Amino acid sequence: MNVNDYQNEFNKIISRKYFPSRLNNSRQKAFSKFLDIGLPTKKWEDWRHTDLSFLNKNNFRISEANDAFENIDFSKYKIKNTHTLVIINGHYVEHLSDAPKELRVLTNHEYLEQNDWRQKDKKDTPFDLLNTSLCDSGMSFIIDPDTDIDKPIHILFICSGSENLIISPQVNIDISRSSSATVIEQYASETSSFFQNNCVFASVKENASLNHLRIFSNANKTINISSSYIEQSENSNYKYFQFVDSGALQRSDIYNSLKGTNSNCFLSGLTILDDDQQSATYITTDHIMPNCTSSQNFKSVLNNKSSGVFNGRTIVREDSQKTNSKQSNKNLLLSDKATMNSNPQLEIYADDVKCAHGSTTGALDNEALFYMQSRGLDRESASSLLIRGFVIELMEEIENKDLRDYLFNKFDNWLIKNN
Amino acid sequence: MLEINNLHVEVENKEILSGIDLKIKAGEMHAIMGLNGSGKSTLSNAITGRENYNVTKGDITFKDESILEMEPNERALAGIFMSFQYPTVIPGVNNTYFLRAAVNAKKKYRGEKEYDAATFLKFVKSKLKEVEMDAKYLKRAVNEGFSGGEKKRNEMLQLLCLEPELAIMDETDSGLDIDALKIISRGINKYKNNSRSFLVITHYQRLLKYIEPDVVHVLIDGKIVKSGGKELALELEEKGYSWLES
Repeated sequence: MNVNDYQNEFNKIISRKYFPSRLNNSRQKAFSKFLDIGLPTKKWEDWRHTDLSFLNKNNFRISEANDAFENIDFSKYKIKNTHTLVIINGHYVEHLSDAPKELRVLTNHEYLEQNDWRQKDKKDTPFDLLNTSLCDSGMSFIIDPDTDIDKPIHILFICSGSENLIISPQVNIDISRSSSATVIEQYASETSSFFQNNCVFASVKENASLNHLRIFSNANKTINISSSYIEQSENSNYKYFQFVDSGALQRSDIYNSLKGTNSNCFLSGLTILDDDQQSATYITTDHIMPNCTSSQNFKSVLNNKSSGVFNGRTIVREDSQKTNSKQSNKNLLLSDKATMNSNPQLEIYADDVKCAHGSTTGALDNEALFYMQSRGLDRESASSLLIRGFVIELMEEIENKDLRDYLFNKFDNWLIKNN
Repeated sequence: MLEINNLHVEVENKEILSGIDLKIKAGEMHAIMGLNGSGKSTLSNAITGRENYNVTKGDITFKDESILEMEPNERALAGIFMSFQYPTVIPGVNNTYFLRAAVNAKKKYRGEKEYDAATFLKFVKSKLKEVEMDAKYLKRAVNEGFSGGEKKRNEMLQLLCLEPELAIMDETDSGLDIDALKIISRGINKYKNNSRSFLVITHYQRLLKYIEPDVVHVLIDGKIVKSGGKELALELEEKGYSWLES
């Protein structure tokens, strides 16, 4: 997809009457900025290890109303004891959803109206700019103050219908003061090829708590580029777990700002890849206020020619004394051809802080394999136990048993194919 | 039970064992003594089938069958066990789970019914007593956070659960305090019977105070230079190894 192709899709969006025309100005601005800076190349520091050739070689078009099929077997996506909300090609399908009554589900149009049409700040990367200019879908989820939602909210983003669609949703999740919820975003595709370029904004207000899981299980020719912006107020808790097990390219950029004191932000994730799949996770945890705790704990298991990137950055600003921060990235390569780029970084400007980081990448431990074989286990069982042992501690951090079982099941299926 | 004939073993193209002959009958305990670098550990690794230990000449048979083409796990299932000098830590793999998987692999091999989790726990707890090991070690990952002595007790626990016919004890006494040494020795003595054999590999005579080998072999530069009764170990303790060097 070249710049002209994006221009064609942009022209279509602008001419569509059902999008509020008062957004056209910000769309125009974003698109001309995109034209100025262009698509990232390998010369860009943050894109050096992300191969965009699949995206550049293929054409994608924005979706039409008749692309969205509803005759989908949803049972394979079902997670026990959750409220499922279905979004097909970026559009909320109310009659297939079972939203809890405490959750307010708004269109982005309604959400903007309620917020005086203030657009949220993004980093203005090329893909963020494309999201602003081509934004065609998405929803907003609001939990009012003093509300606890017991069962997890499972938002299922499905791409269906014709192949080669580009979908640019924006999702807002607002957890108001003294409220709590678990939100699972799951990205799945019923088509073999599409490009989803999304932006998620989560705001966790004073004394609130958000447990956020994202599951990226897409078809093999899928590109998913995703920016998440998380803002935390004081005494808030944010827990994030990301599970990636497929896709031609999965790129996540996560920006977490600790804007209130005494807040915690724990980010973790597991990436398991095969064939020539690619995953890149870029994280910025920004400690702006004192007395906050953060962690980044990411692991990947890479088979065949797959590749991964972990780029974790933690900034501890001058005023954020008593920060406690940890970064860890561990990777297991199951093939000589798999590659991993790991880059944990700390930028510390305060003097009374506790920070640690570490990274390891290696193959299966032959000593451990021999030890297990010498006790009668065949090599396959031994390596399967070792690989499972590598991820188990991370997976057990998922407190909700149904979610943990669901992901373990996905992991075990992957392991059967890749061991 | 175990027969080694003219065994030559290379590691990284360097010959370490240069013609070993050894015959261990059912119910016998043999000790191999030698200095560091004499080839003791190479011998145990060659018997258990570790990668990169290349047999260039000779044969090893176990119960009259050559084991050279067998995978390490096939040798284990056939009845060979090695207590490691440095037991490996396996992060994330629960000790009980691992032990049950190993015992069940053996049960499956023998065509017996496999243990479910509850029955296995009862079984393993009875064995724990024999090695005076705390049940908390069952809940940890294999050998993770175990002291040297605890690791060796865990090896002994595995031995008792897997019931091998030939147990190779590789430098079991190294780094053990006297209490642990006594517990391990008691375990060996209790386990040994007419159909179970031991090959004890050691640098020092220390362990031999508590167990009684039928035959002692002295290994120097990859060759057995002398074999004898228990008194040979005492002689080595007194005179060292130099009088045997050619």
